[in-house]
Amino acid sequence: MIDAATLAQMNGEYVMPPDAGPAWRAAAEYGFDMSLIEESLKLTPEQRFAEHQQVIDFLIELQESGQSHGAK
Amino acid sequence: MAQNDQALLVRLKDSGLEFVVIGGLCVVYHGVPVATFDLDICCPFGEENIRKIESAVKDLNPFHRLTANKLPLELTRSSFASLKNLYLQTDLGKLDCLSEVAGVGNYEQVLQQSILHRMSFGEFRMLNLDALIASKSAAGREKDLEAVRLLRAVKEREAQQKEFF
Repeated sequence: MIDAATLAQMNGEYVMPPDAGPAWRAAAEYGFDMSLIEESLKLTPEQRFAEHQQVIDFLIELQESGQSHGAK
Repeated sequence: MAQNDQALLVRLKDSGLEFVVIGGLCVVYHGVPVATFDLDICCPFGEENIRKIESAVKDLNPFHRLTANKLPLELTRSSFASLKNLYLQTDLGKLDCLSEVAGVGNYEQVLQQSILHRMSFGEFRMLNLDALIASKSAAGREKDLEAVRLLRAVKEREAQQKEFF
């Protein structure tokens, strides 16, 4: 049986870390997905760059693919 | 058009240019995962340094990306004194070189507020978190202010971790 809190998290509810300060809470309440920041902070800066490069490569490919599709 | 920040950084370093990474890549460096499609650096200008930038990208078909006619990067003696920024498109992506950063100051001030970070492909200076927040606040666009909210949260988290250890 899944409890209500777990179900809410499965549906995307962010669990605020107990030690979250006012800036962290404000950002979460503003609507940012702070779990992405938590994951990013676990990486080294070089790992962050590598992930960023992968995202950029994918987005550029997607953009170019969309442009060539639109040109047809 | 590709955007290979690592390759651009290595080329700039190899050219002997002194510079600090600013902008979106620096936001990523500090732990906020944003997608940024250009490499922004702050560097001293003047003939010697502009020549170094030119040498770093000369075989990458560089052009002034904001000029209406996409003017190729062909520097003349008269242009050295008047250039304060370079907004370039190259075969490895967009490269924006600024002589000063709003909210932080000129290159010397930017340098003072930078940190040296060693990575597998070299050592690079990055704008520190406080200066990055100041620069993004000064830029004031919606996307910058959103980054500021997240950078402040990261700063708070870093301060908590320093306290803890």
